[in-house]
Amino acid sequence: MTRAVSTTLLLLFGFAVVLPLLWVLMSSVKSGHLIVSSPWAPPDLSNLAVENFSNAWSKAGIGRAFVNSLIATGATLVFLMPISAMAAYVLAKYEFRGSKAILATFLGGMMFPHFLVIVPLFFLLRDLSLLDTMTGLVVVYVAYSLSFTVFVLTGFFQVLPNELGEAAMMDGCGHARTFWRVMLPLARPGLLVVAIFDAIGLWNEYGLALVLLPSAENRTLPLGIANLTMTQQYQSDWGALFAGLVIVMAPVLFVYWIFREKIHETMLAGALKG
Amino acid sequence: MSKTVCLAGGLLLGVGFVAGCGSGANSSGGSSKELSVAAFQGGYGIDAYEKAAQEFGEMHPGLEVKVEGDPRIWEKLRPRLVAGDPPDLMFPGWGMDHWSLVEEGQLMPLDEALDGPAWGGKGKWRDTFMPEILKLCQKDGKTWMLPYYYMIYGWWYDPGVFAKNGWTPPQTWNELLALCDKIKAKGIAPITFQGQYPYYMIEGMLLPWAVSIGGIEAVDAAQNLEPGAWNSPAMVRAAEMICELRDRGYFQDGATGMSHTESQTQFLNGKAAMLPCGSWLSSEMKDVMPPDAKIEFMMCPRVEGGKGDPTAILIGIEPWMIPKDANNKEMAVELFKYMTSLEKAKEFVETKGTMMAIVGSEKAKLPAVLIKPAEAVNKSKTVWSVQYRMWYPAMQKEIEGAMTSMLNGEITAKQFCDRCEAAAAATRDDPNIPKYKLGS
Amino acid sequence: MRDRSRGAFIGAFLAPALGVYAFFVIYPFLQAVLFSTYRWRGLSQNKQFVGIENFRNLFSDPVFWQAVKNNLWLLFVAGAIAIAISVGVATGARGKSLLSRSLRGVYLFPQVISLVVVAILWYFVFSPEIGLLNGGLRAIGLDSLAKPWLGQPSTALAAVGIAFVWYVSGFYVMLFAAGIQSIPSEVFEAAELDGAHGFRRFRTVIWPMLWSVKRVAVVYMVINVMNVFALVLLMTRGGPDRKTEVMLTYLYEQAFTNSQFGYATSLAVANFVIIMALSLGILFYFRRSPMEARR
Repeated sequence: MTRAVSTTLLLLFGFAVVLPLLWVLMSSVKSGHLIVSSPWAPPDLSNLAVENFSNAWSKAGIGRAFVNSLIATGATLVFLMPISAMAAYVLAKYEFRGSKAILATFLGGMMFPHFLVIVPLFFLLRDLSLLDTMTGLVVVYVAYSLSFTVFVLTGFFQVLPNELGEAAMMDGCGHARTFWRVMLPLARPGLLVVAIFDAIGLWNEYGLALVLLPSAENRTLPLGIANLTMTQQYQSDWGALFAGLVIVMAPVLFVYWIFREKIHETMLAGALKG
Repeated sequence: MSKTVCLAGGLLLGVGFVAGCGSGANSSGGSSKELSVAAFQGGYGIDAYEKAAQEFGEMHPGLEVKVEGDPRIWEKLRPRLVAGDPPDLMFPGWGMDHWSLVEEGQLMPLDEALDGPAWGGKGKWRDTFMPEILKLCQKDGKTWMLPYYYMIYGWWYDPGVFAKNGWTPPQTWNELLALCDKIKAKGIAPITFQGQYPYYMIEGMLLPWAVSIGGIEAVDAAQNLEPGAWNSPAMVRAAEMICELRDRGYFQDGATGMSHTESQTQFLNGKAAMLPCGSWLSSEMKDVMPPDAKIEFMMCPRVEGGKGDPTAILIGIEPWMIPKDANNKEMAVELFKYMTSLEKAKEFVETKGTMMAIVGSEKAKLPAVLIKPAEAVNKSKTVWSVQYRMWYPAMQKEIEGAMTSMLNGEITAKQFCDRCEAAAAATRDDPNIPKYKLGS
Repeated sequence: MRDRSRGAFIGAFLAPALGVYAFFVIYPFLQAVLFSTYRWRGLSQNKQFVGIENFRNLFSDPVFWQAVKNNLWLLFVAGAIAIAISVGVATGARGKSLLSRSLRGVYLFPQVISLVVVAILWYFVFSPEIGLLNGGLRAIGLDSLAKPWLGQPSTALAAVGIAFVWYVSGFYVMLFAAGIQSIPSEVFEAAELDGAHGFRRFRTVIWPMLWSVKRVAVVYMVINVMNVFALVLLMTRGGPDRKTEVMLTYLYEQAFTNSQFGYATSLAVANFVIIMALSLGILFYFRRSPMEARR
C-alpha cells in the first residue's frame, strides 16, 4: 500500500519535472504564431520551424558566447573548488577563536543581492584594469561563489567522522597531508554536489556579467540569450527565443545526464566509506 | 591562457593582484578618434543606428564609431555615468529615469547645438524637429534630450471582422456601449487589455476620457500635481466609465492577468474586438500575426457633451541624449544631426514602420497601419503626452496598482481617484522630489 | 601550545579564500552599506549624507511591510512545502529500482534551466486564455473555476509560490539525498533488525540523522526565499497592485525605476538583517547533533 502511494507520488514528481522541459523543446520547433496562440499544442510535424535555431544562433552570437561561458565557468571552478575546500575543512574540523565568525561572514555573502554591490565593484575592477576582461569576471565569480561553496562544504566536512583524520595524524601525516590524502577524497560527494550547483549557477549568471563585461565580444551565453528574450518582448520572435533557451539548456542537461549515475555512485561511495 | 596563469598567481597571493592582467579594452581613451553610441535594443533593433554610424564614420576618416546595443542598456549605463565614463551619445530606453539625469547635471544642454545649423547646413537644427514633440524634452525652457521616433496612442480594431458583422468603429461613448452590446451578443469579448501593464489602461482610456470630459486642462492639472486634480469630476467620471465597461462584462475575462503579448494575440486572433495600444502594435506583433488578421487604428471614443477637443491625440517619445562627461560631444551632435536629417528619418520611417519627430518625415511612404494614426496627428489641434510618468515614477507605480485593483473590482472609481490623489499629494509634499510643469 | 604548526596550517588554508572574499565581496559590500546613509540617485557622484533618514522612511513605508509579509509567506508556506517534497522524494528514491534511478536522472532539471525559462513556463501555465491550468479546467467542464491566476490579488502570490517550489525542489532533493547516502548502512540494517520500516523508520532513524543537512537546507531556504527576484519580476513584476511584491523587486524598483539608490541600499540592509536574524535563529535551534546528545 505505502509502496503504491510512494511510487505514484514519485512518478508525479518526475512528470512535473520533465514535462515542462519537453514543452520547451517542443516550442522550439513551432512557429512564433503557434506558440502564442496554442502553446500546449504539439508542433506541426510536417513543417517544423527549424529555422528558429539558425535565427537564435545568428541573432544571439551564440558560438562566441558559448566559448566565453565555458571559459568563465571552467576557470572559476578550477580556482574556486580547492580554496573553498581548504577553508571549509579548517572551519569544520578545527576549533579556534573566530572560526564561527568567519563562517558567518562567508554565510553573509549569500544574504545580500549582488546588484547592490555592482557600483562599488565596477569601480574596484576599473581601478584594477580588470573591467571587461574574462580575468575580472572569473575573479568576481570565484569571490561571489565562495559563500555558497564554503558554507555547504563545511556542512559536508562536519559529518565526516573525526576518527579517520585522527588516525592519519597518528600515522604521522601533517595537517595538510591529512587533508589532501584522507579528508578531501572522503568529501568527494560533497565537492561534486557543490561543484555541480556552482557550475549551473555560473552558467546561468546574468547580472554581474551584464555590467562587468560591457563589450559584445566578451558576452557570455546568458547575456546572448537575454538579448534574445528581452528583445523578444518588443519583437515577439518566440520561436527563436525557445530555440535559444534549448541551446543554453542542452549542454548542461547533457553533462548532467552523462554524469548522473557517476554522481550517484560517488555519493554512495562516500557513504560507504563513512 | 596567460590571463588564467596571471589569475592563478593572484589567487595564491590572496589579495596581491597585479593590475594590467587584462587585455585592457576598457576605459575612455579620451581621443577624438572614437565615438561611442549606446542604444536601447528594443522593437526596432539597433541595425538602423549601426548603419547610420557606419555611414557617418565613412564621412569622417579616422573616426571610429562604435554602437553598443542592449535590451537592458540602462543597467549598464548607470555605473558608467557614476564613474564619469559614459558613451558619447546615448539612447537609454524606457528603463532609465531620464529626468533624474537632468537633476544630477549628467546631461549636456542642447540649446546651443539646436540653434546651430541642421545637417547639410539648411536652416536651424531646432526647426527640423516637430515643436510640440521637442517641448517634451525641455525643462524651464532648456532642452536636455532629443526626440527621435514617436508613438501614437489609441485603440485598434480588425476592419475585416467589423465589416463582416456590419459594425462601425465607435466615435463616441454611447456608440461604444451600443456596439459592445452587439459584439458581446456575438460571443466575442468587446475589449481586451494588457492587464499586467496597467499603464495601457491609464493612457488608453482613463486619461483620454478625462481629456474628453474636462478638456486638456483637467489632465494638465493632474500632471502638474494641482490639489484635487486627480479626483476632479472629470477624472472620477473617466474612472467610472472604466468601471461601467467592467461591470457590464465588456472586458475579456481574465484580461487583468494578461501580458501585452497575450492580450494582443487574443485581439489578433479575433477573441476580442478592440484593444488600446500604441502605434508600435504592428511591428511588435509582426511575427505572430495570423495571416488573415488586419488591424486599423481608431481614436479612443470621445464623450458626448465633453469640454475636450475631439481631435486631441496622445503621443509619447523615447529620447536620445548626450552625457555631460562625454569625450566627444561635438561629433555626437554631428552624428545625431545626421541621424535626424530628413533623408535618414524617412529611411527609418520606411524600414521600421514608425513615426519620426522630424518635420517632413511623414511624407515618407508610411506602412498601411500608420496612415490613420499619422492623419490623426496631422488633424489634431491638441497633441499631448503623459509626462508625469517619467517625472514621478513612484507615483506612477501607485496609480498603476490602483488601476489594477479597480479593474479587478476590488475598489470603486472614487476610491481609485482617492488613491491617485493621495499619491499626487505625497509627491507634491515631498521636498526631495524635483517638481516639473508641463510645457515650461 | 599543543601544536605550533596547527595555527600556521589554519592560516594558510583560510588565507586564499578569505583574501579574495574580503577584497571582492566584503569591501564593496561595506561601501554599499555606507550608501544607505546617503540620499543618492546612483547616477552621479553627488551624495548627501542623511544619517538614518532612509531607515526611518523604510519603517513607515507600507510597501516595505507588504514585501516583508510576502517574503515570509513564501518562506513559511512555499519553503516548507518544498522541503517536505524534497525529503519525501530523496527518501523514496533511495533504492535501485528503475523509477528511483530515472528520478535521480531528472530531478535537478528545473535547477539546471535558467530562471527565464521557469518564469515563461509558469506564465504559460497560469495564463488566463491560453494557460494549461485554465485549459484543463475548461476541458473538464469547470469553466467557472478558470481564473486569471496571476492577475487577481487573491491567487497571484500562491501561483508564484508554486513556480518557486517547482524551481527549488531539485536542489533540496539533492541535498537530502546526499545526506541520506552518508548515513552508514549499518544504521539502516540495525533499523531493519529492530523492525522499523516505512514512515516509522524515516521518523525514528533517517530524520534525526539528517540534522546537519537539515540545518544547511533551512538556512539555505531562508536565503533562497529572501533573494527571490527574477522569478517574480518576470512572472508578475510584483503585481497585481503589489500583491506579489517581494523585497528585492521593490529594491530594484527603488534603485532603477525611481533612482533612489540610497533608499534601495537601506532596503538591502534591512533584507540582510532579516536573513541574518532568521539564519542565526535556525543555527541556534539546530546547534547540536541530536545523536551526540544521545551518546
